Amino acid sequence: MTDRKPAPEFLNGIADKFPGISVKVHSPRRIYIRIDRERAFDLAQYLYRQKGCRFSTATGIDTREGFEILYHFSDDATGIYYSVKTVVPKDDPKIRSLVVFLPAADWIEREIHELLGIEFVGHPNPRPLLTPEDWPAESYPLRRDYEGEKGGKNGG
Amino acid sequence: MNGLRLLFEFIVFPGFLFTLTIGLLLSGIDRKITARIQWRTGPPWFQPFADLIKLFGKETLLPEGAPRSVFLLSPLLGVAGMTVISVMLFRMNFRPEATFVGDLIVLIYLFALPPLAVFLGGSASRNPLAAVGASREMTLYFAYELPLIIALVGIVAKAGGALRIGDIVAAQLAGRPFLYSLSGVIFAAVLILSFQAKLGLVPFDSPEAEPEIMAGPYIEYSGGALALFKITKAMMVFVLPLFFLTLLWGGFANWWAVLKFLSVLVLFVLIKNTNPRLRIDQALRVFWIGVTALSAAGLVLALFKL
Amino acid sequence: MPNIRLWGLKRSPWVFHVSAASCNNCDIEILDVLTPKWDVERFGIVLAGSPRHADALLVTGVINRKTLPRVLKVYEQTPKPCLVIGIGTCSCSPHMFEDSYNLAGPYDRHLPVDIYIPGCPPKPEAIIMGIVKALRRL
Repeated sequence: MTDRKPAPEFLNGIADKFPGISVKVHSPRRIYIRIDRERAFDLAQYLYRQKGCRFSTATGIDTREGFEILYHFSDDATGIYYSVKTVVPKDDPKIRSLVVFLPAADWIEREIHELLGIEFVGHPNPRPLLTPEDWPAESYPLRRDYEGEKGGKNGG
Repeated sequence: MNGLRLLFEFIVFPGFLFTLTIGLLLSGIDRKITARIQWRTGPPWFQPFADLIKLFGKETLLPEGAPRSVFLLSPLLGVAGMTVISVMLFRMNFRPEATFVGDLIVLIYLFALPPLAVFLGGSASRNPLAAVGASREMTLYFAYELPLIIALVGIVAKAGGALRIGDIVAAQLAGRPFLYSLSGVIFAAVLILSFQAKLGLVPFDSPEAEPEIMAGPYIEYSGGALALFKITKAMMVFVLPLFFLTLLWGGFANWWAVLKFLSVLVLFVLIKNTNPRLRIDQALRVFWIGVTALSAAGLVLALFKL
Repeated sequence: MPNIRLWGLKRSPWVFHVSAASCNNCDIEILDVLTPKWDVERFGIVLAGSPRHADALLVTGVINRKTLPRVLKVYEQTPKPCLVIGIGTCSCSPHMFEDSYNLAGPYDRHLPVDIYIPGCPPKPEAIIMGIVKALRRL
């Protein structure tokens, strides 16, 4: 389950609560915990509530496997970052929103939604955040197959 | 002829132009002293003049939907008030027989005009930040006016109950300046703090707290209208120490007054440079609790002729 | 412009800082410039709290399609005559953002820029030199 370096005691017992996850110790301060998308919500809640981590930010990437979503949690006592990694398929990009227990995830989920097109089920306010008001709907700039407008010739 | 002389007095000397010029010079000196305290060179002495000339050379923009007349006329209220005050103060000091009973009360009312002008202008700006700044200005005014009035009552008591500034000055010239007594020192402290707030200087400049509320009540003003507000402030820099001298330090109808004036001004600048800004509720508490108690104590001492 | 008006503008340029989709590096450098160490007050430069009090707009960042209408609004609200100073290499050219989906084009397509100060971010000395050069050209 672990990769090369030993995982901290922080993660003791996590394999019993969440069977089938894979923990990768990338460096002494970065640990990636990979889980399927149905249980990502529960793992995030476990890290936030039971373990007392602080939510830092979230990332979304378009990869060959699908859309990768990472939620980065920081354990401030030790300074170690635990990233919950999950992959959603490209033909069904949906995942449960964390906003119900984590209001801090509100804006970053809006940003991932408008730039990658991932739908966060249960998000109270899925309006676009950073794209201009006249941006065409269903047009997601950070997808690898984005063929929309680009370049300064369309400005102003 | 009398009308022409009156016009000259109000507009040139010692009215509008004279007060404005000296006030701008003093602002320049204030900025230079501030710069030196911060170990840097600072602007040239004529910087406030350049600021005013520049402001008059820019266009005046009107915010959409703001009542044009109120917006443009409210700065004039402050300028008018300060002009009359400066003329009155000079008359009272150089010709004490030309004063009238109750002119102290007239002065108090006239001193309410500049904050009122800021309040009107800020409210007429149709901008929520300006409204916040305007309300803070009025709150601050109520804050410092209370101990100020008590102190003025005390000064009147020391002058033997005279409501004429001419009598107050005469009493000081006959005996000792009120400053050289225990109650006088207390009143001096109260007056310094109140005037610091009136001038809008730190630690009491919450109404114009940039970058918190982005210039507060002045946010929508530009060009000539803004210049008029700056003119009001500049005139206040000259007039308030004069008022202090009149009330507590024997008037300014002699040459020693220049030194006294400068020491009061330097006191304002030093307080400004060594203090952080107070929140509006903190300022309110300071004035209504601390300074009012001090002022009341001074009043009691004054009634016992101390 | 008559001489006295020009003299006033040259001697007392109040600056207002506009950040149009910048990475904030240039904004931090502008904050540094306004500290007592560099003493820009000797040129009469003061930070204005509102664009209506400003004579010089310090614009940073590559203008975004979202920030463009707002930057234009700030420019409209600045009473003329005013200077527009582009701070940072992002103001000089879109460089690596050339193909971005959100780019609103180089500065001079939307604003009449008076001087560009290159640098990523420009040092405070460079910013002061640029502003003084802009003032001298008035």
